[in-house]
Amino acid sequence: MTEPRSAASLVRATVATVVHEPVVAIMLVAAFFDGISGNPIHALLLGGVALVLGRDIALGEPNPPVPLTERGDTIPRSWTVLGLSAAFAIVVGAFPRYSWPATAGVVAMSAAAIAVAWRGRLVVRADPGPLPRAGVVAWGTVFVAGALWELEALLLQPSLTADSQQHPTISTLTDPELATHVGRTLIMFGWLAAGWFLMRQ
Amino acid sequence: MSSHDVTVLGYAAVVLACVGLQLLSLRPASRIPSFTTLLRRVMRGRPGRVGVITAWAWLGLHFFAR
Repeated sequence: MTEPRSAASLVRATVATVVHEPVVAIMLVAAFFDGISGNPIHALLLGGVALVLGRDIALGEPNPPVPLTERGDTIPRSWTVLGLSAAFAIVVGAFPRYSWPATAGVVAMSAAAIAVAWRGRLVVRADPGPLPRAGVVAWGTVFVAGALWELEALLLQPSLTADSQQHPTISTLTDPELATHVGRTLIMFGWLAAGWFLMRQ
Repeated sequence: MSSHDVTVLGYAAVVLACVGLQLLSLRPASRIPSFTTLLRRVMRGRPGRVGVITAWAWLGLHFFAR
């Protein structure tokens, strides 16, 4: 039987987790910047998941070893998911960006996806094992370069909440498409399809 | 060339670099993993899996929710 951990040891373990587990640290930093940019829902999502994940790691909770299909869960077919995603995108895409129906729909979908991800892999996938360092560095360099380029555009705006056409962020570039129902539907469907692709990895 | 064009070209360069790496990964005995292989490695445990899905969720919130 394990002894209950004191609050101090839990805090120490959580701090060590934040230092050693980059996912948690990255989410906390992103939550901070989203918070000061006037996006409380984004900050709550990122910060909340980071804290729960950090606690989970600090307590040494085991990763679910068995994919959901092996535990008897029924995983819907991809065509079914994509069809429902299209219907969702058409309905939710009818509402303007940042309206409460759009916000509620995206928040609900996000929460559901994170909850499923928390339980483990959907399907059996072989772990590819350690990857060649050169390949990891190559992909990492491209991702970091993309993030820094976006960050540079963000910081060159007049303020964090004012767009700039001279230094557009990706969201500024997509503003015209997201102003129409068709554009919102297509982009939301793409987002949902990407989510399903990620969930199946 | 305006600042706008330079910024857009930067994004295009990042996308092209991703496409290039993906194509390189298709070569036999390539030392570059495919994007899918990279994802499966990152998402093998709960922190990576939840982190990737949270990043995806954040993207949806960023575009549609406030």
